[in-house]
Amino acid sequence: MSVKIAAGAVVCVESEIRGDVTIGPRTVVHPKARIIAEAGPIVIGEGNLIEEQALIINGYPENITPESEVEPKTMTIGMNNVFEVGCVSQALKIGDNNVIESKADVGRNVILTSGCIIGAFCQVNTCEVIPENTVIYGSGCMRRVQTERPQPQTLQLDFLMKILPNYHHLKKTVKASHNAS
Amino acid sequence: MASLLQPDRVVYLVRGEKKIRAPLSQLYFCRYCSELRSLECVSHEVDSHYCPSCLENMPSAEAKLKKNRCANCFDCPCCMHTLSTRATNIPAPLPDDPTKTAMKKAYYLACGFCRWTSRDVGMADKSVASGGWQEPENPHTQRINKLIEYYQQLAHREKQDRDRKKMARRRQCMPLAFSQHTIHVVEKYGLGTRLQRQRPGAPISSLSGLSLKEGEEQKDITIEPAPALDEVEPLPEDCYSRPISLPEVTTLRQRLLQPDFQPAGASQLHPRHKHLLMKRSLRCRKCEHNLSKPEFNPTSIKFKIQLVAVSYIPEVRIMSIPNLRNMKESQVLLTLTNPVENITHVTLAPCEDDDPDDINSTAKVVVPGKQLVLAGKDAAAEYDELAEPQDFQDDPDVVAFRKSNKIGFFIKVIPQKEEDADVTVSFKIRHDFRNLAAPVRPSEEGGAAAAPAPAESIWLTHHVELRLGPLAP
Repeated sequence: MSVKIAAGAVVCVESEIRGDVTIGPRTVVHPKARIIAEAGPIVIGEGNLIEEQALIINGYPENITPESEVEPKTMTIGMNNVFEVGCVSQALKIGDNNVIESKADVGRNVILTSGCIIGAFCQVNTCEVIPENTVIYGSGCMRRVQTERPQPQTLQLDFLMKILPNYHHLKKTVKASHNAS
Repeated sequence: MASLLQPDRVVYLVRGEKKIRAPLSQLYFCRYCSELRSLECVSHEVDSHYCPSCLENMPSAEAKLKKNRCANCFDCPCCMHTLSTRATNIPAPLPDDPTKTAMKKAYYLACGFCRWTSRDVGMADKSVASGGWQEPENPHTQRINKLIEYYQQLAHREKQDRDRKKMARRRQCMPLAFSQHTIHVVEKYGLGTRLQRQRPGAPISSLSGLSLKEGEEQKDITIEPAPALDEVEPLPEDCYSRPISLPEVTTLRQRLLQPDFQPAGASQLHPRHKHLLMKRSLRCRKCEHNLSKPEFNPTSIKFKIQLVAVSYIPEVRIMSIPNLRNMKESQVLLTLTNPVENITHVTLAPCEDDDPDDINSTAKVVVPGKQLVLAGKDAAAEYDELAEPQDFQDDPDVVAFRKSNKIGFFIKVIPQKEEDADVTVSFKIRHDFRNLAAPVRPSEEGGAAAAPAPAESIWLTHHVELRLGPLAP
């Protein structure tokens, strides 16, 4: 159970982090968020915002624990992403500046590039690479391309990094070892 | 089971121009005619216009001028949600001193649902928060306006001919006043008035709402017919070979919401002003009394006049159904609720064998023959602890329970058909109704001090159909 939290990240003690997880600086993890690295490690970049009841899980496909050793795949999450309340993300590769809105469900075989917005309650479990700046919205998961990427939530991150420590205990930062293990 | 309370389980028959079966919650009751009315046997009139997002009221004349659209609010051309105005700070050179830059606010429109912004179609940010956004101009506006003027004049001329014929027949009416009146009425209401409706064979009757005023001079407008072209613009060369980029193509719905332009590309979808909604009032066609009149204020959901059927007619609801078996008698528990404040007496009767209204029933029903008494609806009953419960002496075979203004009673159902369809029963319900709205009849003795006649009770009969559900397997 090795959770490496970089300096500058704000991770509340009430959040549940299991497995081999690396969290970059300036990332905020709200209480009751769950980051579970079952079938492989998770690497989270900087400036991400993971809200309450969000679930980022690197799990075995369809909950089947293989008997033979399957090579663990690393889940990489880039910078400035927002995981809104109650979303579920199993995507193995997430780029920068994406927004996964509330109660959205992203499957394991989806690869989010940058600037993608998965709208509220949209379930995306296709096997594809979502092109840049795509917006998926609506009950039928309609898509469109927007001309500019969503702005990084710097204001919100700064506010949270000031306010959250006043009300919650934080997990201690553990520096990631310099030698790659 | 909540499915027993679904509104379409119990329907009442409305005897209007068409026989309509509808649940009581969707019906109106004209207390002047003492009959049930449905939405199809009343006339709908527009009461007022309002914008659904800014809730601003708009007089009808202004609404017509603005083509029934709000001046301030916009619709997203992509997902039809309401657009909100957002502000950003951009550095802009000061007007006095071009070398220094100050932060100025720039506003753009954005949709919260699909994240469309006005920058996507190339609309520049405006410096004012509202009022800076323009809709694109339709290139065909001039031609359309000219056509409308020509047809207005044609309709006006036809109406004048019609009035002249009527004036020749009627000698006592003032001719000028008559045609002034029709013009005023026609212009304000269009096809909604009684005058319009009684002339089904009138030519171009749909355009007679656009008539000119009397005083305008009649200049003859001529229009040229649309020219027919021999040569049509050819398709682009790469029409078949160019790969389609689906995000660029507009959906049919997005395209048809802008019938002026119908853009095929998403980069030409401009936002349009939001459509106004209207409040409508309902009027009984026989006695011309208002059945439903909403309040003028768009933020208020109350009604000035609300003659809905549930507040006058006792409502039958299904409470529990046992397993229904073909040709076997089962007992169904129904409830009857009294909406008025005085005691109501209800008699049920089965439908006769040759009843023309009884087309849907698939089972025989045995209803209690005795008269059921319903207590009045007492709003203060729950707070009044000392009130003695009224003693009604119910027959326990018929009445299952009694609770303030509601009783539960049994009916016996014998399904007749072995089908997969739902078992349907129908019966007649007869109750007394005190008409408090009836005009006070002048008493025989005369005199200003005569007491008003007490409201008389009349007996109303309704045909009720219940859908009890499928037979038990």
